[in-house]
Amino acid sequence: MKTTLAKLFLFTQKINRQHVQVALALLGLILFVLGAGAPEGGDPGPH
Amino acid sequence: MILLAAILLGIPAGLLIAHWRKRPWSLPPLRSVWLVIVAFLPQLIAFYLPATRSLLPDGWVAAGLVISQVLLLVFCWLNRRCAGAWLLAAGLALNLMVIAANGGFMPISPQTASRLVPQEVVQTIPLGSRFGHGKDVLLLPDDTRLVWLADRLLPPEGFPYQVAFSLGDVVIALGAFWLTAWQGQPLCKLDKKSLEDPI
Repeated sequence: MKTTLAKLFLFTQKINRQHVQVALALLGLILFVLGAGAPEGGDPGPH
Repeated sequence: MILLAAILLGIPAGLLIAHWRKRPWSLPPLRSVWLVIVAFLPQLIAFYLPATRSLLPDGWVAAGLVISQVLLLVFCWLNRRCAGAWLLAAGLALNLMVIAANGGFMPISPQTASRLVPQEVVQTIPLGSRFGHGKDVLLLPDDTRLVWLADRLLPPEGFPYQVAFSLGDVVIALGAFWLTAWQGQPLCKLDKKSLEDPI
């Protein structure tokens, strides 16, 4: 358990600001295209 | 899915371009990403979460979609220095125009819809009602305002994944590809402030 926590701590230390920035930008871009676009894939719903 | 494909294609293209230019690949530091998350929330509730999407009245869903897309336009304005953001904004504006002109939903004709689901299923959906739980409403082309901006484009017959998409979707896909492949350049000359406080 202690070793796992230590490894996790070391891993989080390697995540720098730029990684977080890219991840957030990617998340933002994905949510943007999902929200802005309106393609219809063919789910006719409950009719 | 086709819009996510633009991002998925843009990333390896961006990595190749970055390798060619001998610099690390990155996305431009977009401003106010929180605004996209806030803008997407109404759509998450109205279209994506099975527990909530069938509960909301159509009027609320339509209003939520328009408000959500207006907020996304504000996001584009805040990121107007990035080259791809202009394409994203243009595509979004095209979609928003046709959605707002047709009662808050994206029109799709019965003919186009019958390429996505069997015609017998389309015939059970009354004209003017929503096509499933998505953003589309079933309308005849003659009853559609700005019909050339509606979901009327289709991949070739026989293509394994059939989807109807609009001109705005194409422009958004190009913008997403540009942003991921070219990292928002050449117009993305960020000022010092945006580098210090990108999110």
